Amino acid sequence: MTSSDAVSVGAPRRPRFTDDRLTTLSLIAVFVALCLFFGTQTPFFFSSANLDTITSTLAIVGITAIGMTLVLITGGVDLSVGSVAALSGVVTSLLWLKGGLPLGLSAVLGVGAGGLVGLINGGIVTYLKINPLITTLATFSIVRGLAFVLSEGQTNLLSNEAFNFIGRGSIGGVPFSLLLMIALYLAFLFILRYTQFGRNLYAIGGSPQASRLAGIPVSRHLLTVYVISALLASLSGIINVSQLASSAPRAAVGLEFTVITAVVLGGTSLSGGKGTLIGTIMGVIILRTLDNGLVLMQVSSFFQDVARGLVLILAVGFDQIRLKLSRIQRRRA
Amino acid sequence: MTGQGGAPLLEMRGIHKSFFGVSVLNDVSLTLYAGEVLALLGENGAGKSTLIKILNGDYTMDSGDIVLRGRAVHFAEPRDAEAHGIRMIYQEQHYAPDLTVMENLLLGELPRGQGFPGRYVIDWGEARRIAEQRLSLLDLKIDPARRMRDLPVVERQIVEIVKALSGDAQIIVMDEPTAALTPPEVKRLFGIIRGLCDRGVPVIYISHRLDEVFEIADRVTILRDGRHVATRPIGELNLGSMVGLMVGREIGAREQAGMPAPASVPVVLEVAHLSKAGAYEDVSFRVHAGEIVGVFGLIGSGQLALTRGIFGAEKPESGTVSVDGRVCRIRHPQDARAAGIGFVPVDRKVQSLIMGQSVRKNITLSNWQRLNRLGVFRQRLEKQHAQRWIDALGIRMAGGMEVPIRFLSGGNQQKAVLARWLEAEVRALILNEPTWGVDVGARSDIYEQLEALARDGLAILIVSSDIQEILAVSQRVLTIFKGRITAEFAAADATKDRLLAAAAGEAQ
Repeated sequence: MTSSDAVSVGAPRRPRFTDDRLTTLSLIAVFVALCLFFGTQTPFFFSSANLDTITSTLAIVGITAIGMTLVLITGGVDLSVGSVAALSGVVTSLLWLKGGLPLGLSAVLGVGAGGLVGLINGGIVTYLKINPLITTLATFSIVRGLAFVLSEGQTNLLSNEAFNFIGRGSIGGVPFSLLLMIALYLAFLFILRYTQFGRNLYAIGGSPQASRLAGIPVSRHLLTVYVISALLASLSGIINVSQLASSAPRAAVGLEFTVITAVVLGGTSLSGGKGTLIGTIMGVIILRTLDNGLVLMQVSSFFQDVARGLVLILAVGFDQIRLKLSRIQRRRA
Repeated sequence: MTGQGGAPLLEMRGIHKSFFGVSVLNDVSLTLYAGEVLALLGENGAGKSTLIKILNGDYTMDSGDIVLRGRAVHFAEPRDAEAHGIRMIYQEQHYAPDLTVMENLLLGELPRGQGFPGRYVIDWGEARRIAEQRLSLLDLKIDPARRMRDLPVVERQIVEIVKALSGDAQIIVMDEPTAALTPPEVKRLFGIIRGLCDRGVPVIYISHRLDEVFEIADRVTILRDGRHVATRPIGELNLGSMVGLMVGREIGAREQAGMPAPASVPVVLEVAHLSKAGAYEDVSFRVHAGEIVGVFGLIGSGQLALTRGIFGAEKPESGTVSVDGRVCRIRHPQDARAAGIGFVPVDRKVQSLIMGQSVRKNITLSNWQRLNRLGVFRQRLEKQHAQRWIDALGIRMAGGMEVPIRFLSGGNQQKAVLARWLEAEVRALILNEPTWGVDVGARSDIYEQLEALARDGLAILIVSSDIQEILAVSQRVLTIFKGRITAEFAAADATKDRLLAAAAGEAQ
């Protein structure tokens, strides 16, 4: 009642700190704190060799997280990304090794197979109106199963100089996979911020009903988003195969949880309508730094999972408190 | 019916309340006598709901006294107010949709058996008996074992009223109780209210529908900007003076809307033989450029489904919709939008607005032709466009167009929805109950805007169950009953009685 009464018409005031900016700032603060902590604990942390380690392993989680961010913005979720990544690797290796297709074509078809899963996810969510959590939980299981069936549970070795470059090559000392990831981030940052499609995703996440009645093609957009998520997950699967020089049906197990953790850490809301790729990439980097630092400190790998969970709860809890504070401020204004 | 001879049952004196330094109530008083209906009026934001929430114990006042039956009382929380017999019936309903009627009625007090283990087990037979007894108070024939979700909205609301009446109710507060009721049901509710008064239970009645206030209230207390403006017996007020007190300025009686469009003016929206089984049947009508056509029907007569059908939100089974003489294939709302039809749904908060997004983004939500160039969204142009509509429609907000739209008042939100469709340059606009939850001042603003838009050539179809609204803006009125158009009136021939008769399915 106070806000509607106190009317002041005039030049719009721009708030000094928007929610998004505050999230980014606090993420940077967390990152700096982590670096300082690990830097003081182990001198190797700031070495260039360690920087290489971190940067060359960002791409898989980072690229998959782009798609996940889009899906979460629309108010959905995609649990199938890890399975899709494994499937695309398996399909690629089978087409090349057993099908005799050129490796490039095999990889494209492998990514395509993953994209098909996205089409199915999106189709079920939009046309059968089944909850995305249930839908992708089902395909998570189905697709992982398919990867085992197709590969007969075998790990296949893949080695090809051009193919290795995707995951392990570098240009001017910068890992190729990292460059690929940065390019994708720039492209999708643009899409989210400066295209109608991107803006519509936020509207859909804010209120699917209102978006539909405003004439936004909600179903088509949702379908597109799940396809994008699956295609990016498949690409991550290819990078994974290239880095390991082998494809295995149990590749990328648990990828979905790492990715969701990173995206939520980056301030994207699970209830939809809110999120940025800047936040997501920060979330990805923070998680990776945390893992890396703990390894360097020779903390047991079991404890790394514990630490990851703690960071997630701390970050989201902090976000909630900040939200409440800003609401109180707004009411006062 | 008024019991003003005796001492007041309830007095609220010198109530002050502020939130974060902003004064919301300033020295407000309210007096309530046994057995009367006191209408509490004021625009949105005048302080009605704050005052009521103080009475209910939801908010604590900064200073002031509440005197109940001659004794000062203090309510720290709603439970205290309830213990004193103060009962609230809210505009938004508070029930568990998946529980049965009796579970909702007896929430927290379901009867148990006796002994062990009986006292740990609910006695459903007894629960049903109590529920039936309470429902019979209002002469209600509802199976207490039905789920709330399966009842019509109206009956859910009546169940809520029954629930509020149970126990030792001393004072009933009703906040917009008729928003979802049809005229016969309103009559039934008024009967119930009069029955309460006869038993000496007073009712504080909050409504934006002033004609109802004249029908049911004994006295009126009017608030404006957090201050008490006037308390008068209803006989000393007329519509004009009442609105004047609420708004603080004179709002002239609205002139009857213009003449029907002559046949030479082109038809913009044409609906032909539109049908959907169980919803509407063989509906045909035309709306000319610059014409405002009203569709009047009692709630649940199929008008809502009809408009959703025209807009493609729920596909009709047969029939056609044409815009500017071209038949449009409308399967989804996006087809309707592309054809130049705009749609204002009933439930603004859920179906129209993206509540968390800014006023700017809500205004430009449906326009993606002119604001895009080569696939790139033009943000600077968008701001100019949004500002243009904010100025043109007089959308008032604190903090500018980047403020989330949920902070705007109902009237200003509705203006933003109008702006959205104007921004999308639609040829025809369908509005459902355009002024629900919109206060009087903003309401006449919206009517004026609609008339101005019609003068500029927009074809407007207004669906409303508020007969005053239909009479105020329509140049032509269609009545709908059980999914069929029953009659058509030119504005000059449309009278309240005729419309009601036609909308109730009575032959002309």
